Amino acid sequence: MNKKRVLLVDDSSLARMMVRKIVTTRFPDWELVEAKDGAEALSLAETTLHLALLDFNMPGMNGIELAEILMIKYPGVALYLVTANIQERMQQKADALGIGFIKKPIAENKLMEIMR
Amino acid sequence: MDALVQGKTEMAKQQLCLPTEGGQSIFLLSELEEDALKEFFNMGLGMAAASLSEMVHNEVLLSLPQLRIASYEEATRLLVSGQEERLVAIRQNFTGELSGTALLIFPGAGSLELVRTLLNEQMPLEVLMELEQETLLDVGNVVLNAFLESFTQMMSVQFEFEAAEFLRGSSQFLLDLESHLTAQRRALSGGDAERAFVLMMDFKTHDEERMQHTLSGFVVLLFSQASMEILKRELKVIIGAF
Repeated sequence: MNKKRVLLVDDSSLARMMVRKIVTTRFPDWELVEAKDGAEALSLAETTLHLALLDFNMPGMNGIELAEILMIKYPGVALYLVTANIQERMQQKADALGIGFIKKPIAENKLMEIMR
Repeated sequence: MDALVQGKTEMAKQQLCLPTEGGQSIFLLSELEEDALKEFFNMGLGMAAASLSEMVHNEVLLSLPQLRIASYEEATRLLVSGQEERLVAIRQNFTGELSGTALLIFPGAGSLELVRTLLNEQMPLEVLMELEQETLLDVGNVVLNAFLESFTQMMSVQFEFEAAEFLRGSSQFLLDLESHLTAQRRALSGGDAERAFVLMMDFKTHDEERMQHTLSGFVVLLFSQASMEILKRELKVIIGAF
């Protein structure tokens, strides 16, 4: 069976560990690909991507800038900004780009909702 | 020139930011523990920024978390270097399983403009000055509470806040962390008198109309060595869970 693929981009090791644990224990039919920033994410050779979870505040490009590129590289991928920056303006930026917004720390039930 | 107008004119030049000079931390955290602490700070500042953003009706820009764990001597030296001469600060002690002092620090000339923005009214300078202290105490209370809330969300630690204090003075005076520790020791029984640790993050508000940063500042947390040990213990527990 072909696994679905989720890309996680976050410069925090802890944040990646938290998501990794949920994905590996709850979603065995998903493959998790990790990157610590936008540049590393874009250097990945993945040809298929179903879901991308992007931190906003990262070295180099931010999550919104990365989302704009991923939209072109992976048409149809579901994109979510996962950030501790919960200001209304930040949510509006995500809405304007047509991507989802998830508050950090990411909750298991939220992942259940979008990965089902 | 009217002092408030002058303050507004000069505000764009005022950028409080944390020094980035390298240095050997005297409290050693593993790379992962430091990463985790930064992430908690990131979440705390995100919550604080959301509160401040609602108050000023503007976006608060957050920099990448800078975490420095330093002795108060080193931290004082780093903080004072290159800062504005006049600063205001809201200081709030917290007690409980984690005890310490939280400081929210702004450039002095920017504080009246912040008060004007918060009150959303054109007021004579003398009225603004009368309301400055009370208003900034409210800001400090909301921002620092939101910031520290992240610690209680992620760790099994509880603490309560003492009343906030408004401070104004030279950077040399306000960033002399020894004076804050003296106040902390006075307020917190059983405080660790020997050594403290400092965690710092900076932020700036963004005015879309003027397309310039209008106010910047930073949050400083002073922990006793005993509290830092608790923090380290909690970090180990959290990291171990993943």
